[in-house]
Amino acid sequence: MTNKTLTGAALHPAVDVYVKDANAGKLSRREFLTRTTALGVTSAAAYGLLGLEQPAAAAGHAQQGGTMRMQMEVRALKDTRATDWTQIAFVYAGWLEYLVEYNSDGSFESALLESWEVNDDATVYTLNVRQGVKWNNGDDFTADDVARVISDWCDTAAEGNSMAGRMTALVDTDTGVAAEGAINVTGPHQVTLNLPKSDITLIAGMADYPAAVYHSGFDNENPLNDMVGTGPYISESHEVGVKSVLVRNEGHEWWGYAEGRGAFLDRIEFIDYGTDPSAWVAAAAADEIDMTYETVGDFVEVFKSIGYEESAIASASTIVVRPNQAAEVDGVMPYADVRVRKAIAMAVNNEVCLELGYANQGVVARNQHVGPMHPEWADVPATAYDPEGALALLTEAGMADFEMEIVSIDDDWRKNTTDAVAAQLRDAGFNVKRTIMPGSTFWNDWTKYPFSSTNWNHRPLGTQVLGLAYRSGEAWNEFAFSNAEFDTLLDEANALADADSRRVVMEKLQAILTDEAVTIQPYWRTIYRHAKPGFVGWDMHIAYLPHIYKIAIAA
Amino acid sequence: MGLFILRRFGIMILTALCLTFIVFWLTNLYPKLEVLAKTQGNFRMSDEAVTTFLDNRGYTQALPIKYGQWLGVLPGYVIEGSDGETRARCELRGPPSDINPPLSRYCGIIQGNWGFSTVAKVEVSDVLPTRLANTGKLMFWVMLVMIPGALTIGVLAGMREGSKMDRSLSTVSIVSTATPEYVSGVILIALFATPLFGMQFFKGSAASAVDDANFNNFFLPVITIALYGMGYIARMTRASMTEVMTAQFVRTARLKGVSFRNIVMKHALRNALIAPFTVIMLQVPWLLNGVVIVETLFTYQGFGWELVRAASNNDIEMLLGISVISVFVVLMTQLISDIGYVFLNPRIRIS
Repeated sequence: MTNKTLTGAALHPAVDVYVKDANAGKLSRREFLTRTTALGVTSAAAYGLLGLEQPAAAAGHAQQGGTMRMQMEVRALKDTRATDWTQIAFVYAGWLEYLVEYNSDGSFESALLESWEVNDDATVYTLNVRQGVKWNNGDDFTADDVARVISDWCDTAAEGNSMAGRMTALVDTDTGVAAEGAINVTGPHQVTLNLPKSDITLIAGMADYPAAVYHSGFDNENPLNDMVGTGPYISESHEVGVKSVLVRNEGHEWWGYAEGRGAFLDRIEFIDYGTDPSAWVAAAAADEIDMTYETVGDFVEVFKSIGYEESAIASASTIVVRPNQAAEVDGVMPYADVRVRKAIAMAVNNEVCLELGYANQGVVARNQHVGPMHPEWADVPATAYDPEGALALLTEAGMADFEMEIVSIDDDWRKNTTDAVAAQLRDAGFNVKRTIMPGSTFWNDWTKYPFSSTNWNHRPLGTQVLGLAYRSGEAWNEFAFSNAEFDTLLDEANALADADSRRVVMEKLQAILTDEAVTIQPYWRTIYRHAKPGFVGWDMHIAYLPHIYKIAIAA
Repeated sequence: MGLFILRRFGIMILTALCLTFIVFWLTNLYPKLEVLAKTQGNFRMSDEAVTTFLDNRGYTQALPIKYGQWLGVLPGYVIEGSDGETRARCELRGPPSDINPPLSRYCGIIQGNWGFSTVAKVEVSDVLPTRLANTGKLMFWVMLVMIPGALTIGVLAGMREGSKMDRSLSTVSIVSTATPEYVSGVILIALFATPLFGMQFFKGSAASAVDDANFNNFFLPVITIALYGMGYIARMTRASMTEVMTAQFVRTARLKGVSFRNIVMKHALRNALIAPFTVIMLQVPWLLNGVVIVETLFTYQGFGWELVRAASNNDIEMLLGISVISVFVVLMTQLISDIGYVFLNPRIRIS
């Protein structure tokens, strides 16, 4: 590659600062890659700026053809915008592709977009659509397709559409659809997005798992009914809860073949063994699967012991054990008082939560829901662990006798972590009751429980989760956290394309989360996948994205 | 006899009606509908979105009306949704096929429409036959192992009451029948399907047995169910055998010098097998319990596995379909046992 940016334009001015920071050791390699590639720098050039060679892709060691069987829950497909399980995306990723791809090293790579440019204050995005891409029904893939899909993403009225939350900058709040003049087709292969306000997360949003690009004849109820897409595979069979099979779409000339992107396997089988990991081990021992979708808890050791290879990545996937500030219990709102929340935070040692809840398979966090894996993370100290002070503070708030009920889902790590929190609160002298609910009923009221735990997935930028879960009035704001100053600062942060200037704002945001003791967010999870020896390209993805075309049998 | 069978069928329909109504009522409780909406839409949906979702799809109609629609005695709903789309209960769903009849006003179970599985996104009538066939295969092998095994153990134990053989066989059958499937299954998997004890002869997962059942992947699920039923039937056989062995006609035969072998084979056995026959037929509904546990444990996609999945996802019409079939199976086996009893024991006449 001769060009340093995807479009061949000049480097974004912020890139120089990043290079200096990275060389001075202020910036980790992953942060550097996330920031520069989000600004349109090619990943090869980004590595080059650090004086490094881009690591060779596994392609050289891959064998053409073969079958791979993965243990994975097989769920019914639905409107891609409403996808709420990455497992669903793993199936339709066979024929539906993404505009941009987010990689585990933090970089954004071009996919259906050949390149993109962002202006300095992140209000104008120029998207250059890849040329020569064809839908598998023979139609050409053009800028109109991109514009159509983006405006569909902005439709807040569509049932379960979570993409609208990722595209908020483009959505007109009055009409609930894309703002007029925001999405413009400026050429047969170019789309320009004019944002009413700055937003730095747009490219990251386009790389997330519900952002699959579908054809205009798409059936929203069930993507299987009309499998028109740009990808290399097609579904052969899909039986919910049993098995889903993808096979190579023989008649379709996928654009990725010419680019050497992969799609080595001829057949990919996803086999459902339920939610009990011991059944997965049984399946592995019986040689009915080649790899797991995700290995959790004690089973990491078990899979290693049966000779499986391991892929681990420290991600921003996490759990929050949080009080809901607006929740009423017996006529009072116990957690509206900041002293009560502070007392809870002071009584819990996050290291203990990591050890007991997740077998030390992760990194301790600081209750701020922004971490070192995010480019704009600031080093804000956590609330000090002080169980005696916690009880004193709780007594001062007059809630020493109040019985806190902590709800969690009935599973392995989420239950254990919540138990660890409850046990520490009890040790500190709090009055605690634990309730465990089955998965089928837990999600009914997940945002409303007075005190409960929820898992949150990895997102590339720190401001993203804050916008989804901590902004006042958001649907997923399970904390019922409402703070005008926080919202203003968050808007401010979202207008700063440069992560260093954003960090200044982020420092304040993190400080607010700590001072207000909004939640306990004890650790960042390391996530694992295990595979039988003899496969390449199956590495666990930091955000569970379905890059199935990379998987191959080792040559 | 004809009247008797007719009456039995009447009871069967009545039971099916009552049971399905209870299932219908439980699955249509609002919190369960909320689960349904969230698994169908987005599991982090807001409350308003849940309400419109349910309204648009006819879930918020009155319970008797919904039940009538499912039965097919009331016309299916036609609702113009808040999103502008018109949805009808009787519309064509899923890919068109022979089983999918064209639009009609009534489309309930009476019209042969078993409904639509909201989880699997297919017609219930497409799924259940394959699941039943899988369970049928499992049950066939269970019966093949269980009945001869149980009868042999029972007869051997009952021949000479109180002998060493009786005591040891009785102990074995009591232990096996006192161990429920969810205990014996786990023990068997740990012993024979993991490398822990160096006896990894079988596979602990039966998912591949659906397409290709062999000794390796099918032995453990079969033996787990069979062991439980075997002990119980063996006990019954033993009891009936010991009773027959002390009967007057056996004593007479012995006094006349008939060999022990001939007494057992020719005189005792036929009389002793009347009771176990009824027990075996009545055991079938109990085995269905075991099927639920074992199929889930071994991920074998049969009837019981489908029941667990439908229940945990609140798949209303699938659960109802399963209930109808369960009622049918249970009452059919009772009917067969009643009729068979008459043929085995001529002293009984059904009025």
